[in-house]
Amino acid sequence: MTGKTLLFAVTGIGLFFALPHMLADFQLFQVCLIAVTALIALGLTVVTGLAGQVSLAQAAFVGIGGYGAAILATRWGVPLWAGIPLSGIVAAMAGFVLGQVTLRVSGHYLALATMAVTAIVQLAFIHMDDITGGAAGMPVPSFEIGGRALTSGGELYYVIVPTTAVLFLIVGNIIRSRFGRAFAATRQSEIAVAAMGVDVLRYKALAFAGSAFLGAVGGGLLAPLASYLDPMQFGIPQSIYYMAIAVVGGLRSPAGAIIGAVVFILIPEFLQAFQSYLGLVFALLLLGFIVLWPNGLSGLIFRRPGARWWGGAAR
Amino acid sequence: MLAQLLVSSLTAGAVYALIALGFVLLHNGTGVVHFGYGDQVTFGAYLVLIAQNFVGVPFSAAIMMALLASMALGAAIYAVFMVPLRNASLLARLIATLAIGTALREWLRAFMGPNAWPFPFLLSPAPVEVGGLMLVPANLAIIGVVLVILAGLYLFFEKTLQGKAILAACENRTGASLIGVRVSRVFLVIWVVASLLATVAGILVAPLLTLSPDMGLIAIKGFTAAVLGGFSSLPGAVVGGLLLGVLEALTGAYISTALKDMISYAILIAVILVRPQGLFGGLALKKV
Repeated sequence: MTGKTLLFAVTGIGLFFALPHMLADFQLFQVCLIAVTALIALGLTVVTGLAGQVSLAQAAFVGIGGYGAAILATRWGVPLWAGIPLSGIVAAMAGFVLGQVTLRVSGHYLALATMAVTAIVQLAFIHMDDITGGAAGMPVPSFEIGGRALTSGGELYYVIVPTTAVLFLIVGNIIRSRFGRAFAATRQSEIAVAAMGVDVLRYKALAFAGSAFLGAVGGGLLAPLASYLDPMQFGIPQSIYYMAIAVVGGLRSPAGAIIGAVVFILIPEFLQAFQSYLGLVFALLLLGFIVLWPNGLSGLIFRRPGARWWGGAAR
Repeated sequence: MLAQLLVSSLTAGAVYALIALGFVLLHNGTGVVHFGYGDQVTFGAYLVLIAQNFVGVPFSAAIMMALLASMALGAAIYAVFMVPLRNASLLARLIATLAIGTALREWLRAFMGPNAWPFPFLLSPAPVEVGGLMLVPANLAIIGVVLVILAGLYLFFEKTLQGKAILAACENRTGASLIGVRVSRVFLVIWVVASLLATVAGILVAPLLTLSPDMGLIAIKGFTAAVLGGFSSLPGAVVGGLLLGVLEALTGAYISTALKDMISYAILIAVILVRPQGLFGGLALKKV
């Protein structure tokens, strides 16, 4: 461990324990929301930014995570701390299968197929009334750990932020491993990479599985934070919203997912008087960045050629 | 009962076919798959309302204004977004078209409100009985318009030099410009025509569906129709649309209404998985 990483680790842990004393409960709630959103966007960093496979199924995985954990808790009494990773694994398996789809299609067909997946999953939430509460949605049981119910943002902070941090570290390490290089090579030339003996299909499917897992864990953590599941929150527009976060933050680096989440969660705070324009602002941000700065904010900030994993152009 | 069901389902199918025609035209003509096309359809219908309610012109003049405005919109989308992105990756262009659609939709939500607006029928919505079947003139008009547009586009692309130039420009931009085809103008014309088609579709469809900012989400069914037809075939798009309408109606009537919406998404995934070239498209081989 170099001095720099040690310094980062110490500052990070120090900040983690200092924040609850510095911020009000509502602000901690927002920190949690940023962390969860960043986790969901990180899924897109993996599948779209690294492996180059467009996915509009992220909202579906978020929904599977949220509904899965909530249904496990209300029906079978599985506590959320076990139900969330469990739903994450189920979503990862679904994502792996979806990744196999990319054997035959890519580009706009893949975008269409993932859109259709989101639409089907959302319709399933709406029509399976007896277990999901139908169009009206369902309440989420509280997150209990060691007999203690965590309800407010300030309490859930101690679960959500460390989980997010650990997952970011894991993804960051995977990106710098053999897997990360294979993903990057797949994005640049599938044919060349296959010729080098990399099983392209398996890597694509793994990227989808990883993004599904991150999306579902994010969704599972979002559920107790929001305390209510509304099926309208898991549709195609929501998938585009997560894509916008990842693109504006920068698809190439995990840092981009965090930057994007900060921007998209904090903008509503500054635009309180213009709530009805929020959707338009988000759409224009996405449009502006994809045309002018396809590397996103993280690409603008860390403009060092060859810097770890955020080098290269998104075009 | 079955005959009536089929006749009614053709209307829905014609709506999908109309949207699919726009997709295929843009895809064949410019190589772009426009994920915001459905929102352009919605936007076109709203343009009529805006001209009627805020400019204060009568309905027929409002339609003319909407058609002109949508042509300008198409030209603007091409000039402002598609020209800078012409060498961008497929991914960037795909996200850009999604963003254009989302921006149009959210603009409508912000300025026209999230609620549905009433939209007048062009023709009578009262059913007429013909040989035991109830036919609605307003619905038949959609099928008629679809067939006219199909015939027009088909003849243009297959029988005129202009149309062939467009196909050449799309197939090989450099080659087409070498033999004197002005590629940028060809693309501009395609965007203008496709945007015009979107508004025609919006005006015809709005009275049948609920005209709210989210009406454009129906475009995914138009996509399904286009994929079913092979994505590069104009007649295929129409057949795909009608087929989808019939399949949906049959599923809704004989299996379950909950499955009615799901079936088109399932068909989309199944076709992409099993037969990505669609029912009529030729198999495209990707060369290294």
